[in-house]
Amino acid sequence: MRNIFLIAKREYLEQIRGRAFRMTTIGLPAVFAAVIAVSYLSSLGLGSGKHLAIAATDPALASEIKDRVVSKKDQKAIVDVIAPATAADRGRLLEQVRNKTIDGLFWIESPVGALPKATYFSKSSGDFVTTRRLKTALNDGLVNERLTTGGMQQEQADALVKGISINTLQVKVDGQLVKSSAEMSLWKGYVMAFLLSMTTIIYGMNVARSIIQEKTSRIFEVMLATAKPTDMLAGKLIGVGAVGMTQIAIWLVTAIVLFASPFAAALMSGDLSISFSWAEGVLFPVYFLLGFLLYSSLFAGLAATCETEQELQMYMPLAAAPTWLSFSMILLIVNDSNSPWSVAASLFPPTAPIIMFLRMASQTPPLWQFAASIGLMMLSIWATLWFSSKLYRVGILMYGKRATLPELLRWLRYS
Amino acid sequence: MPVVELAEVTKVYENKVAVDHLSLSIEAGQMFGLLGPNGAGKTSSIRMMMGITMPDSGEVKIFGKPFERQSLERVGYLPEERGLYKKMKVVEQLVFFGELHGLTATEARKRAADWAERLQIAESLDKKTEELSKGMQQKIQFIASLLHDPSLIVMDEPFSGLDPVNATLLERTLIDLKDQGKAILFSTHRMDQVEKLCDSICLVNRGAAVLAGKVREIKSRYERNRVIVEFEGNAAFLNSNEIAESNNYSGHAEIRLKPHGDAQKLLHEAAAGATIYRFELVEPSLEEIFIQTVGGKSDA
Repeated sequence: MRNIFLIAKREYLEQIRGRAFRMTTIGLPAVFAAVIAVSYLSSLGLGSGKHLAIAATDPALASEIKDRVVSKKDQKAIVDVIAPATAADRGRLLEQVRNKTIDGLFWIESPVGALPKATYFSKSSGDFVTTRRLKTALNDGLVNERLTTGGMQQEQADALVKGISINTLQVKVDGQLVKSSAEMSLWKGYVMAFLLSMTTIIYGMNVARSIIQEKTSRIFEVMLATAKPTDMLAGKLIGVGAVGMTQIAIWLVTAIVLFASPFAAALMSGDLSISFSWAEGVLFPVYFLLGFLLYSSLFAGLAATCETEQELQMYMPLAAAPTWLSFSMILLIVNDSNSPWSVAASLFPPTAPIIMFLRMASQTPPLWQFAASIGLMMLSIWATLWFSSKLYRVGILMYGKRATLPELLRWLRYS
Repeated sequence: MPVVELAEVTKVYENKVAVDHLSLSIEAGQMFGLLGPNGAGKTSSIRMMMGITMPDSGEVKIFGKPFERQSLERVGYLPEERGLYKKMKVVEQLVFFGELHGLTATEARKRAADWAERLQIAESLDKKTEELSKGMQQKIQFIASLLHDPSLIVMDEPFSGLDPVNATLLERTLIDLKDQGKAILFSTHRMDQVEKLCDSICLVNRGAAVLAGKVREIKSRYERNRVIVEFEGNAAFLNSNEIAESNNYSGHAEIRLKPHGDAQKLLHEAAAGATIYRFELVEPSLEEIFIQTVGGKSDA
């Protein structure tokens, strides 16, 4: 036990003092925040400031659509209205689209006694934001026009067109009602699952890299004269795991400080409300630790069979596959966190940590499912450790060539 | 009671017999040389002594008891495949290894400083290992294996890669340790070192012991058939019927006698025509015994 502690301490101190630790502790959240900020900011300005032409046979409808396009959301848009438009206007405007004088032409024909037919012409086929905005403007404008011409007051028509927003409240297990937003739940789940998968894989790879470095530096035989291979493996996993926990603790403390600041006050109110439960706070380190132990014990066994880091890279897609699988299920999970697929994926050990957090973001799963997923993970960690310690025992003393599959199978048979 | 005892130990890898019914024993206060050509089974034998691998048959006893990990606390081991943590400071590294062997951090630090002084690397203690030369790193590995004051010292090729000055420094250290009553086993290719340092040897070839015992006894088993003659005058005696082969370097002749060749008769023949300054019947060197025993039979 003393040797495990000493090996873990050495591993911990070496990694904590390393440049890579400082870089990832500061860099990872910074990169993540930058990605969110850039995607949010770019979505704000998406499709705005365009020069469009609305050509319609019905002048009232055309002007209605223009008012809705040039709204608060897009004050920079320039919209020319040509109504009533003729076939000659259409040809001239299409020429302007072709030579980029205008960005697009919205052509609306209103046959008597039928719904209007609309076509949007532009140089770009992928301008879905403008197309969606024009569609909404046309539909809202048409409904408004029909309601007011049918005798309804303008204010009543506006209210109907605007629609009724739904207030979402989440009913907690204790009956408490909490204001929630599906969109923010998705984001919260996504961020936590992303951090969990990144840290698990980064630290799992750290264990593997550290084993390869020790193999390259030929330190193993010196170590084996004092410590058992299982103690060496256990010490390494504990040491690197503790580094990961330290990093998560730093992020959590920073997050708490940030959320307690006035800057976060705005974020915590209104539609942008995010709430973190105690369960999430406790389970995040638990699932990190279990995920880390599962992946790092697997990586440790594989690393013992490799000679160089390049060889180890070959196994990376294998390691990342459960993460891809988990993230590909994100919409399914958030939409219905209790579907059989969601439950199965949250119990399947390689995907359990990420899926469980995605599920928790929308609804806390029953206690038995947590117990089952943690139990199954512990069982699979035990099995992986058994498998890896066999490979590790033999692999660390094999130098010079990569082990073939029959050789690996033979290693597993050695005591 | 022998400190280490191997009894009929065998180890087979795949289809290759690495160690074949090897038996040897080392007493306290004895320096033991494990010799053999490359691939003879020296490292495989040492690894079984250290519990790194287990014998397929036979028994390894350390301090009179069948191998158990606890015994390793009293063993200092310098493997052939040796390394250090490159990013660690030398002193931290030595303290780490000392603690693994059961020392307290304070005691390990104190002993590391004493050893560094003795092996003339005190100024390197606060440097990172990667900043040191290979020879310096080897000295640190040497210290790491001795820091916990082991009763049994096992070293696989301890002098390889060292310059003559440092090799001599380490040789003297090993002699001191032997005088303190430690049992020392080392493997080497350097026969001059074995001759100088070892009390007993075991020569292995293809996994099996081909020659074992005290150096003196082994040498005495071989006929003294080499003669060195320093002379002035007629060199006709070099054509004597007693001689199998001779080289004459202007008055300094190195002669190999025929089997059962008579040295006394040769001396009379030489003295008849020349003035003899030196006539020495030389015992065979370990190197000659090694070559003669292993001959072309090694796997290397």
